[in-house]
Amino acid sequence: MTVSTEDSATATSVVMLTRRGAVKMGGALFVSFAFPAVASTDAAVIGAPLDPTQLASWLEIRSDNTIVMRTGRTETGTGMSGFYTQVVAEELCVRPEAISLIMGDTDKTPDGGYSADFRDGMANVRKVAAYTYQALLRLAATQLSVPVEDLTVVDGVVSGGGKTIPYGQLVQGQHLDLKIPVSGEPAKSDPTRWVGITSLDGYTVTGNPPTKLLSQWKVMGKSYPVPGIPDKVTGKTRWTCDVTLPKMLYARMVRPATLGSTLISVGEIDKKRFPTAAIAKKGNLVAVVSPSEWEAISAAPVVAAGTKWTNWAGLPGNENVSKTLRAQKWDAPAERGENAAAVEAAIAKCSKTISAFYEQPYVRHAPIGPFAAVADVRSDGSVTVWTHSAQSQGLRARIAHMLGTTPDKVVIRWVDHSGQYGRTTLGGDGAEADAVILSQLTGKPVSVQWTLQEDLAWSSVSPAWISDIRAGFDANGRVIAVRSSFYSPHMLDPRPVGALLAGMPCSTSKPSGFVATQWPYDKIQNRSEHAYGMPNLGADTPSGGLRGHIMRTPGQRQQNFALESLINEAAASVGADPIQFRLDHTTDQRLIDILNATAKAAGWESRPSPHAKARRSGTDPVTGRGVCIIVRQNSYWAGIAEVAVAPATGAVHVTKFTIGVEPGKIINPRQLDRCMKSGVVMGLSEALKEEVTFDRSKVTSTDWSRYKILTMEETPEIKVVQISRDNKGFGSGSEAANAVGPPAVAAAFFDATGVHARRIPLTPAYVTTLLKD
Amino acid sequence: MPSEFSLSVNGAKQIVSAAPETPLLFVLRHQLKLTGPRLGCGMAQCGACAVLLDGEEVRTCVTPVSSAVGRQLTTIEGLPALWAAQKHLSASDAAKTLHPVQQAWIDEQVPQCGYCQSGMMIAAVQLLAKNPNPTVAQIKDAFTNTPPSPHLCRCGTYVAIIDAVQRAAKAMRA
Repeated sequence: MTVSTEDSATATSVVMLTRRGAVKMGGALFVSFAFPAVASTDAAVIGAPLDPTQLASWLEIRSDNTIVMRTGRTETGTGMSGFYTQVVAEELCVRPEAISLIMGDTDKTPDGGYSADFRDGMANVRKVAAYTYQALLRLAATQLSVPVEDLTVVDGVVSGGGKTIPYGQLVQGQHLDLKIPVSGEPAKSDPTRWVGITSLDGYTVTGNPPTKLLSQWKVMGKSYPVPGIPDKVTGKTRWTCDVTLPKMLYARMVRPATLGSTLISVGEIDKKRFPTAAIAKKGNLVAVVSPSEWEAISAAPVVAAGTKWTNWAGLPGNENVSKTLRAQKWDAPAERGENAAAVEAAIAKCSKTISAFYEQPYVRHAPIGPFAAVADVRSDGSVTVWTHSAQSQGLRARIAHMLGTTPDKVVIRWVDHSGQYGRTTLGGDGAEADAVILSQLTGKPVSVQWTLQEDLAWSSVSPAWISDIRAGFDANGRVIAVRSSFYSPHMLDPRPVGALLAGMPCSTSKPSGFVATQWPYDKIQNRSEHAYGMPNLGADTPSGGLRGHIMRTPGQRQQNFALESLINEAAASVGADPIQFRLDHTTDQRLIDILNATAKAAGWESRPSPHAKARRSGTDPVTGRGVCIIVRQNSYWAGIAEVAVAPATGAVHVTKFTIGVEPGKIINPRQLDRCMKSGVVMGLSEALKEEVTFDRSKVTSTDWSRYKILTMEETPEIKVVQISRDNKGFGSGSEAANAVGPPAVAAAFFDATGVHARRIPLTPAYVTTLLKD
Repeated sequence: MPSEFSLSVNGAKQIVSAAPETPLLFVLRHQLKLTGPRLGCGMAQCGACAVLLDGEEVRTCVTPVSSAVGRQLTTIEGLPALWAAQKHLSASDAAKTLHPVQQAWIDEQVPQCGYCQSGMMIAAVQLLAKNPNPTVAQIKDAFTNTPPSPHLCRCGTYVAIIDAVQRAAKAMRA
């Protein structure tokens, strides 16, 4: 077993191994407690939090050679639990099957942190495993009387000097006095911070213990199955909506008539029809509760029909969003890149320039299962919440803030639920506040699940964007300067709507611009990006209006659509092949390699767009292809769309999509393939179909016939190209697979029709208008 | 007013008590503790609550409990037994054998969040009963155009589902 040796001095300074007598508990384990690896429905016993400096809080080696690892990060459906298992197995030299994970329960995990960036989440468990491995080697050296350097470990069995001992036996009666060095603190509410809580990362394990070299990975880099899938397939998984507690009530919310309404009077319950149902209310938060879920569901619309709300009409309507953003007086932007005036001056000197204005609508996460949560607020002040959050400690901080209590009184238990796609990453949004408030009001545990209509109207949204971009060319047709301005409403508002409507304290964040672009074209030195932010539309209402929130590849997805669309327009304007044009503007070999590999897999024929046979009218379909790239979090993606456009009807069909990814070292090729393909589906859905519609009062796209997402029939053949590198660390894998859809499809549309599509989604209605002009 | 209904669920007789118009979904989940079917849209637009009723997919969020009387109801929890009965497996073999559709869903690593996947597997079982060797186009058609609505997956696992249906088809033909 080869171990990298960098910083081993640091490692030994913090790993202090002392040999003690048999531990009293007689369990022959590292730690004095063991948790079942399934969610518990017991209300939490409020006690001291796990000490993150104690190994025992993180990791437990049992006498049967199995290992329990604990992390506050959670599985959101992309396979994180598998990747964490793999990295712990790698560092400890055990089989992944030997490891079980406890994730996301704030009382049973030491670190907290948000689950968005895999690299950060994995770093903690990886380092803990690496520290532990060093300690185990020292312990084995003592027990076997063999120097550490002569020891090898395979599948949890240490060998050396002709002797062997498995971990489970090695730790019998031993106590590893291993201190885990950490920095940071658990999340707590702080309205002055950018998302209203401190410490998105929770505790971070510090130091640099020796870790296995990427080039010598044995478990990482292989397609191990993702844990949890068999239980999801056989029906054993317990979901948030399956949690039941003694005396629990089910609730259905009665939401305001408009985004800005306040309550006038609550409707009544017909006790003959709904004998067990009751109304619970606080401020503008209204719900129907019943021990029977179906009775709560049936009574809620009846109560809603009799409930009176004030009128409000302060939204611009979705068709006027761009106009509204255009008219906005913007505060100073966030900036990146070079001095804007210098870039303007450089563009002004160019003999050839192009400019374009791009528009993207409000879209939303829209999972199949609406938000759900169960809460048990006890008279002793303890609060337990069962839910699916990507940031349990952040959620704990927000619930504590809402209740005016301290985080130590609140326990979040993490349970599976429908995908979150970013909306719970900052520990807010969801049904948790509703459940907590209703449990407090009724004195009983309460299970809340939103309806689909409610979720599509009241959950947070990914805000609309408009972008102005200009580019200047040199005499050789190369772009030498790019000036980008991005405008959008607030994108970082994780306030729970239940707390807002109930008028309870709510931490918030300040609307500000957010430059997310990672500049991929290093040959274009003269460039400047400005991002302008403003409050939510309808911000001055009790509900907070259209609460903008992050969604998969946040900000960068929208900004990249504009930037890559402009690059495609630039290539077309000088008659260049759009892939060659990109290659001509970068020296980044990783980008060059993934572009070339993806082009090859797609059978890309070098030529400029539009196609010689491009046309904007006629009944026969016309075909085209388009490309785009995105660089993010140490990963490179390239996407090539092939489309068929029917000019007469405006129908756009994506017939094939090729996507390439180079995320440094690939951790699990099979799961990466799965998540790349599904990410493409999400991106094509945004490119072709998705738009949150609203009138002047409320969201109107409130079911699947009005908020349309891609179907299986609309899913094209998807080809995935993977490049793995041993010398570039690892990146965020499949995340931005959704972001390559819209620019590539828009480029393919131009190739087919000769008309630039500067807005998504490419619905038949929009395309028909576009082709007529 | 609640009435008693005698249902045949996953091969076993079950007596449940509910108002006749109560959607099957809530009877299955709360009284029979069968949580495979899940509430998605509540209006037959997504497929997350699907079960088989006499081999035909129904959306339990809009199907009254009374309409299940006298028919064979199968949830994903009952798929292994359904397969075991079809293949006349011994009790010991049956205990360790999943339905080929479930096995394919595991082997092809289909679920991401997994919320919609019970319904997807139900749709697959129905399709393969009618068409043992479907083409990709036929699979897409079945999952999209079979009334009352397309089966929707927001994680975007459609390609994995197509792969899994074809794998299951092969296993079931063997």
